Amino acid sequence: MLAYALRRIVLGLLTVLLVSAMIFFAVEALPGDACTAVLQRDAHGQRLENCRREMGLDRPAVARYLDWIGGAIRGDLDASAGSGKPITELVGARLANTLLLAGLSMAVGVPLALLLGVVTALARDRAADLALSTAAILAMTIPEFVTATLLIFTFSVWLGWVPGIVLASADAPVSALFPTIWLPVAVLTMVMTAHILRTVRSSMIDVMEGEFVQMARLKGVPAWRVVWRHALPSALLPAINVVALTVAWLLGGVVVVEKVFNYPGLGRFMVDSITERDLPVVQGLALVVASAYVGVNLAADLLALLLDPRLRTARLRA
Amino acid sequence: MKTARALAATLAALLPLAAAPAQAQTVFRQAHEVGFGQASSLDPASRGRVFQVTEKIMSRLIRPGLDGKPAPDLAESWSANADATEWTLKLRQGVKFHDGRPFTAEDAVWSLTRVMDPKTDSPARALLAVIKSVEAPDATTLKLTLTGPFADLPLVLTDYRLMMLPKDSGETIGRTGMGTGPFRVERFDAAGTTTLAANPDYFEGRPGVARMEVIGIPDAQARFQALLGGQIDMLPGLGRQERALVERSPRHRLQEVPTGNWRGIVFRADQKPFDDVRVRKALRLAVDRKAMRDLAVGPDGGITGCDTPISPTDQYRAEGECAQDIAGARRLLAEAGYPNGIDIELSVSTVEAVWPVIGEIYQQQVVAAGIRVKLVQEPADGYWNRVWMKKPAVMTRWNERPADAMLNEIWRSTSRWNESGFNDPAFDALLDSARREIDFAKPAPSTSRRSNT
Repeated sequence: MLAYALRRIVLGLLTVLLVSAMIFFAVEALPGDACTAVLQRDAHGQRLENCRREMGLDRPAVARYLDWIGGAIRGDLDASAGSGKPITELVGARLANTLLLAGLSMAVGVPLALLLGVVTALARDRAADLALSTAAILAMTIPEFVTATLLIFTFSVWLGWVPGIVLASADAPVSALFPTIWLPVAVLTMVMTAHILRTVRSSMIDVMEGEFVQMARLKGVPAWRVVWRHALPSALLPAINVVALTVAWLLGGVVVVEKVFNYPGLGRFMVDSITERDLPVVQGLALVVASAYVGVNLAADLLALLLDPRLRTARLRA
Repeated sequence: MKTARALAATLAALLPLAAAPAQAQTVFRQAHEVGFGQASSLDPASRGRVFQVTEKIMSRLIRPGLDGKPAPDLAESWSANADATEWTLKLRQGVKFHDGRPFTAEDAVWSLTRVMDPKTDSPARALLAVIKSVEAPDATTLKLTLTGPFADLPLVLTDYRLMMLPKDSGETIGRTGMGTGPFRVERFDAAGTTTLAANPDYFEGRPGVARMEVIGIPDAQARFQALLGGQIDMLPGLGRQERALVERSPRHRLQEVPTGNWRGIVFRADQKPFDDVRVRKALRLAVDRKAMRDLAVGPDGGITGCDTPISPTDQYRAEGECAQDIAGARRLLAEAGYPNGIDIELSVSTVEAVWPVIGEIYQQQVVAAGIRVKLVQEPADGYWNRVWMKKPAVMTRWNERPADAMLNEIWRSTSRWNESGFNDPAFDALLDSARREIDFAKPAPSTSRRSNT
């Protein structure tokens, strides 16, 4: 089992390395470079040459890639082309904000999704299930920017209960993000609850028909105990991967939601850097987000391995 | 060489103070788009200047009057010698910077020479190329010696980047924003909320609101939501759909303010086939400017000009007639040796969302005159150094400038940003003579001549 875990970790690292090369050379293939992007109409002659020399753009691409990836391993992602500030520092504050948003959404969304998933599975094909499942499909399929805009119109413009747009900057204290954080949390919660709910529901339905559940019922175990002790733990296993994907999606900075609400997290930082054509930042952020995806998925696989005895023994035998 | 441009009329929506939450009676809030991101600065001469803040905390020597003429700001009056090569400005007395230091001619000398210094690398430096030296004969007098005659110097000094700063504040000004304006900086946070407090000692009296907040909201949609939700009190530059929403809202008031920002198509006058003036004229005759404006930005989205780049608020604006004339365009093309029409490539890009739209409309409109336009989609990345000024026909945009700056920057044969490669010694000579002309009524001929070229 340890060997399997190690193999997964090494594979994860290789994936990140591969992705980093793809990011770097994709950015490299763009017309123009960080200097023409920053200087715009002034990008010619001496000014362009100076900028390229300062940023080391006159060196061959492979050498710059090795430098970049070497720096990234040491936690140094170069400096922003726009401000000259270290990217690691810029990412830090925004990552914290995105973590806060993700954390709150998960704190609300995951328990809610589990509860509703079990309820819909037990009430299968009855009114409660139909209503909740339809609502979940709606929440999943309506794009976030539509949900977000509708929520802003309802709660901010029309009812005036909460402010619609976040006005705090990235390095503002956490308290400055309240109460504006609730609408983005609501949008994210809706989407992620819907995704997790549907997985929990279908796997719960499967499990409830399993022989061990039948057995428990026949033995006269109380219904709540059958659900809670016997069915739920097995039903949760497939949900772990969906939760992991959702977490990775949240950590990547939910670009659309952050943009609509002006939330100072990683997602908006990405969009803003693209608009400003701050290529070093775009490159660095892409790497951070890709690593988060790989990392969270790796963690989910290892967790599933720990929780599921069948997986464990299967791997051992293989 | 240029055709089909629409001058944008900027729409602004205002939230009437009475309808806004109680605090808005003392705080006025507006947004800015954080266009310079991480490089945002309070240094008015820097590339990253946040003008929505600097305009409130600093003063110029001369400000643009609402009639398009220069009006007094920190300079109370100004006069030139007979050939307009030496200008004397009388400065306002008793003006103080926000930290209590008095504003003197020394500060003005430092502020201007700082912009002129190549080391500062200010985008406004080219404006002051006409100035040879800046001196302060006494504490309230400023003497500017020019390299040649220049009648419109006061207009140049109205530029929003030529703010008066305390002497030797170059190192700190980007953070402190020290000035003599109606507001002083409490906290500068470009990406968040910048707060300004009324300056009780402002030379025109204490401003009407106690505080102002300038809030960074990069996304246009989010800015509009903030306006609708009452988180900001004013939003300039509304689009068509936004206008419709605000018009119906009982809480908002709509204002229309003409501006001189424009979009256009440039044809290189030094490249085939546009080096033939008959071809250029045909390209201009074949377009229906009003229809283009209506389709691209809507009837309220801007005005059309007969290739005059001068703002409708500018005293030197010249109106003209430039109706579509397909037959005339065909005739000119035939004379130029293209009896069967002409094929051209036009480079568009999403640098501005409206560019490809303008390109398509142009393509449709001029095909009747035998001008077959092939649209080339250029990437927005590197547009300004790979396409603009290089390809024979491209899209362009300019922000409002005084007439003299506009004409000299874009059409003087030696200008660095002469985007059409226009080279006419007679036109350069007219620009020179306009600069010598102190009588305000006279410089107009040069602008009207341009639009006929």
